[in-house]
Amino acid sequence: MPRHKLIASESDVSIEVDEGKDNEFSLYYVEVEESSKKGKEKQTTRDGRRRRDKNGEVSRRRASERRTTEGGNKRAEKKHERRQKTARKEGEKHGKRQRRKNADEEEAEEESNKEKKNIKNERTKTLKLEDEKEKDVKKKRKKRVKNEEDDGSSGKTKQKDCHAMPMKEKEKKKKRKKPETTSESECKSESESESDSDSESKDNQAVGVLGSLTPEELEKLKEAVEERKKLIATLKGKPWPMKKKLVILRESQEFVEKYEGALGKGKGRKLYAYKVMMMKKWMKFQRDIENFKTACIPWEMKIKEIESHFGSSVASYFIFLRWMYGINMILFGLTFGLVMVPEALMGKPYGSLPRKTVPREEEASAMNFAVLWDFGGYARYSVLFYGYYNNQRAIGWLKFRMPLSYFLVGVGIVAYSYMVVIRTMARNANEEGGGDDTSFNFSWKTFTSWDYLIGNPETADNKFASITTSFKEAIVEEQESRKDDNIHLTRFLRVLANFLVLCCLAGSGYLIYFVVRRSQKFALAGLENYGWWERNEVNMVMSLLGMFCPMLFDVISTLENYHPRIALQWQLGRIFALFLGNLYTFIIALMDAIQLKRVEEDIVKKNMTIWQANLYNGTVPDNSTAPPVTVHPADVPRGPCWETMVGQEFVRLIISDTMTTYITLLIGDFLRAVLVRFLNNCWCWDLEYGFPSYSEFDVSGNVLGLIFNQGMIWMGAFYAPCLPALNLLRLHVSMYLQCWAVMCCNVPQERVFKASGSNNFYMAMLLVILFLSTLPAIYTIVSIPPSFDCGPFSGKNRMFDVIQETLETDFPPWFGKVFSYASNPGLVLPFLLLLVLAIYYLQSTSKTYKRVNMELKKKLQTQNEENKKKNKLAALKAANELEQAKKAGEQRSNSASDLGVNEESSNIDEAGEHRQAGQNGHFIHSSQTQHTQNSEPSVSSNHTTTRPPPSRGHTSSGHLPGVSTC
Amino acid sequence: MSVCLHTCRVLSVSLPNSVVLRAFLTRSELKMVSPAIALAFLPLLLTLIIRYRYYFVLLYRAVLIRWVRDCLTGLSREERAFQYILTHATPGDAQSILDTFDHWCSTVEFISNIGPKKGKILDRLLQEHCPITVLELGTHCGYSTVRIARSLPIGARIYSIEMDERNAQVAEKIIRLAGFDEDMVELIVRPSDEVIPRLREDYGVERLDLVFMDHWKRCYLPDLQLLEGSGLLGEGTIILADNVIFPGAPNFLRHVRRSGLYEVRVHRATLEYIRGIRDGMAELTFLGVK
Repeated sequence: MPRHKLIASESDVSIEVDEGKDNEFSLYYVEVEESSKKGKEKQTTRDGRRRRDKNGEVSRRRASERRTTEGGNKRAEKKHERRQKTARKEGEKHGKRQRRKNADEEEAEEESNKEKKNIKNERTKTLKLEDEKEKDVKKKRKKRVKNEEDDGSSGKTKQKDCHAMPMKEKEKKKKRKKPETTSESECKSESESESDSDSESKDNQAVGVLGSLTPEELEKLKEAVEERKKLIATLKGKPWPMKKKLVILRESQEFVEKYEGALGKGKGRKLYAYKVMMMKKWMKFQRDIENFKTACIPWEMKIKEIESHFGSSVASYFIFLRWMYGINMILFGLTFGLVMVPEALMGKPYGSLPRKTVPREEEASAMNFAVLWDFGGYARYSVLFYGYYNNQRAIGWLKFRMPLSYFLVGVGIVAYSYMVVIRTMARNANEEGGGDDTSFNFSWKTFTSWDYLIGNPETADNKFASITTSFKEAIVEEQESRKDDNIHLTRFLRVLANFLVLCCLAGSGYLIYFVVRRSQKFALAGLENYGWWERNEVNMVMSLLGMFCPMLFDVISTLENYHPRIALQWQLGRIFALFLGNLYTFIIALMDAIQLKRVEEDIVKKNMTIWQANLYNGTVPDNSTAPPVTVHPADVPRGPCWETMVGQEFVRLIISDTMTTYITLLIGDFLRAVLVRFLNNCWCWDLEYGFPSYSEFDVSGNVLGLIFNQGMIWMGAFYAPCLPALNLLRLHVSMYLQCWAVMCCNVPQERVFKASGSNNFYMAMLLVILFLSTLPAIYTIVSIPPSFDCGPFSGKNRMFDVIQETLETDFPPWFGKVFSYASNPGLVLPFLLLLVLAIYYLQSTSKTYKRVNMELKKKLQTQNEENKKKNKLAALKAANELEQAKKAGEQRSNSASDLGVNEESSNIDEAGEHRQAGQNGHFIHSSQTQHTQNSEPSVSSNHTTTRPPPSRGHTSSGHLPGVSTC
Repeated sequence: MSVCLHTCRVLSVSLPNSVVLRAFLTRSELKMVSPAIALAFLPLLLTLIIRYRYYFVLLYRAVLIRWVRDCLTGLSREERAFQYILTHATPGDAQSILDTFDHWCSTVEFISNIGPKKGKILDRLLQEHCPITVLELGTHCGYSTVRIARSLPIGARIYSIEMDERNAQVAEKIIRLAGFDEDMVELIVRPSDEVIPRLREDYGVERLDLVFMDHWKRCYLPDLQLLEGSGLLGEGTIILADNVIFPGAPNFLRHVRRSGLYEVRVHRATLEYIRGIRDGMAELTFLGVK
């Protein structure tokens, strides 16, 4: 998903840039924050209570300052950690601290410093910028205040803790505060003057901050930056509404964008700005490269477009098609590069041998289009087919071992395909988690049923409708699962449907059997006496059945009332059976034809000797000195060459299959769509909604067509090296044609569903087909001797003898010896045994792992449930405590309203409380999200109790007096 | 496909045109398409029959039976329906008449009334909005008129337009049989496109609260446009159009969706008295001219 990637990368950019030098530019960051907050404060504190609040705030600041100024003690460190966890809330607190700092600095400034006015002049420009920024930040702050209110209320219970302590703390405070009381009063007076001249004071503050940068402050600024970064990084997992998240993300990124370049001072700043710029450029470059990479994936955009219109099930077909194209590319490379091209370049040219020449009787029609279309004539006597190749051991100046290469390529194609298919299957299997999906049916439906790849309103409507109907169905199912009287009907219908499908399969099987028998009869009587219909009857019937039977299955499968994903698999299984039946009847017919050809070959062989004898008898007596008579290769009698016949059959099958597919596409989809579209204006019913309507894309049929097509390629590639090339062409064309057809004449399925799990199903079928198609090929290679006068293995007893021959002649003798020892059954059998054992071992270990995984999953689930229970209990407890705390707080606030000092102290308590609230809130999330860390001790054992979200909202209504001003 | 390949092949075998034709003819004379190939089309035939079985049923019930009965009895379909209702329903009881109608349509013959299921949608709409002035386009046998009239408040008025004279006679009888007088139901026997522009002048209609369309599907759009032009539609006027999916009024739906004058809802349902054929009623709420 490139979109995801892009977003991720963007956030990466900002983060990584941040990491550069936080020290330097955190100054700016905090400065702006401070000034903005100041401004905000000024506005909010215009009412009568302003002064007191200020006081309270100042004192609060003091309190927190004291805590922090205890230096490198543990508490501060803890706070650090907490801050990192709950970056958001901490940012708020941090702001407070800074305000406090600010106030201090102001005092210092007011009292003594006037040197910094120079700096002030320098900085005013940037400050204006910051003023602009302020407005944004104000908004931000408002939100934060709300936020904090929530948090504060959630942390309310901890007030108790704080209440236990406060006396001590207050005492401490008093002691420490004594020297600062004067400054406090100054602060008050200043705050009054602030309301008069806002802008001036702002400048002053900012300058003050800038001027008095202590290492301690630097540290804090660093923290602030880190918080920001953390915030950006953890934003995804926060339980906030998306709108808020977006706003915050944009704000922080914008901030970084704006100020990262203007960091540091003088030279360092320039350098840093340069660095940042380069970093950004580099990032952009990387992103561009990523985009370029996706653009380089062939047809990616097309497939994405289709996916957005039709959902992922249709797209999965096209992805499969593309994958298939890749594999065929490799197969084509192998056959083309290692067999066809060497033969064409270095082998003997056309006409040099009888097997490379069109026989005399065919010469007249050899160039006709019809003959070429059937791959007869010149097409047959070319590199495209097995028969053209010569049995010469090495050809050309490279001494290219042609027969060996031919054999190895044939084996390699199959081996490579096995490897790829199995590897892909294993990879897909890894992605599947072995989980039970049935346990939380409705939750799954609620949270996972949307297909996020849909980008088309119509499809989205369909999806929406299908989700609602699926909900309805699920509810009805849930209701009926208790009644279960309808289940019998469903079962009966399912059995009936399967029975009907079986009948249909049997019928089509018989029809093909009948046709094959008839064609054999024709073949015996001589095909030339029959018309085109009779000769192509088998192919025709096969493609027609392959086209129409799936439609019938589809209609029958509506009886079964399965979920579409399961229905798709059933449909696939049924069509698979049908196609397999067709394919195997075809192969059986082919085997019969091979037997016929071999009988013919024997006759030809005998005739050949007679012919040769006649030839020499007739010529030798006349002129003994003359070289043996040269007969034109076209006139030499030759065998039927069954291998070429097999290759030809396969090529024809592929061609007719392709044509059928395309013509169905054009007639069934395009013509229908055109008719529906344009006849709809003058027809008595609505064609688009009603009877013909537009067609849906038939995923199962297309996938199976592809798979069986590939099976035929694997079967026939040994006898017709041109097959992968043809298939490549076909796939290429059908990619474009089908993409176009889908987009222009099909409508999205009424029940759009996700096809996440079906990929491995396709692969499994492909594997089965691969196995089933290599079986006959291997059988013919191993058990039938090659023709005597055509092909690279002519003259040998079996085709694989070429290996032995190579071992004997091309390798040193010791190698042959080693090989013969190695191939000794005494060695081979133990090896096989070992292999079986290893496979068994691996399989059992993988099973164990799976089981362990499942158990772990279950454990996690139970732990999660336990956690939930615990949290519930804790929440109850907390609610009780809260009630008590409320009462206590009310009492206290009543008494506190009389004395301002008291309120200060309560504010202090609350400040402490916030921190704990933040911590606490975080723990709630962690305990919910990280099931692995079961029952964090801090949650249950700590006295700071966990609390559920509802009670948070419960107390948020203005209970805390100090919070609203923060 | 086969024919195409055949001709393609024949063409390629022998180029001169006359020879091609002759070859084609002789071949097709010589051997018909083999039975096996014909059998291979059987699944297609089965598929089509099964998939569109409801349409065949509809064809049989709506066309064939009607034709046969017309020949046998010499009465029109509507008159037969009326006879049946006269003998089976309780006069003055609208519900009984509707039930009898439904029974006759679902078991004896087929008349495309609004039907009980979609009728419920209509009833609900009437209850929700309580229209005072209702315009019905296409009375046919008066089924929907009775249905509307029985749930209207006192003082409400229906203008029902029917083009066909004989149907109108039957409809009037049925309406009277159900116990609704001329104050309640005004039957206008003229084509709808003539009546609509004159509604204001001839019948004193100021504003229509509900328009129910169930006449020729082709007339939905022009009549709607006439209504728009006449100014009888006010804000909140409901227009209910039956059979927008089957037989369907695509142009009507397209116009309605694009014009922006209406809030559109399509109630999905099945065709009346026949299961399995999807149909829908479009409910438009006039938002007022902007």
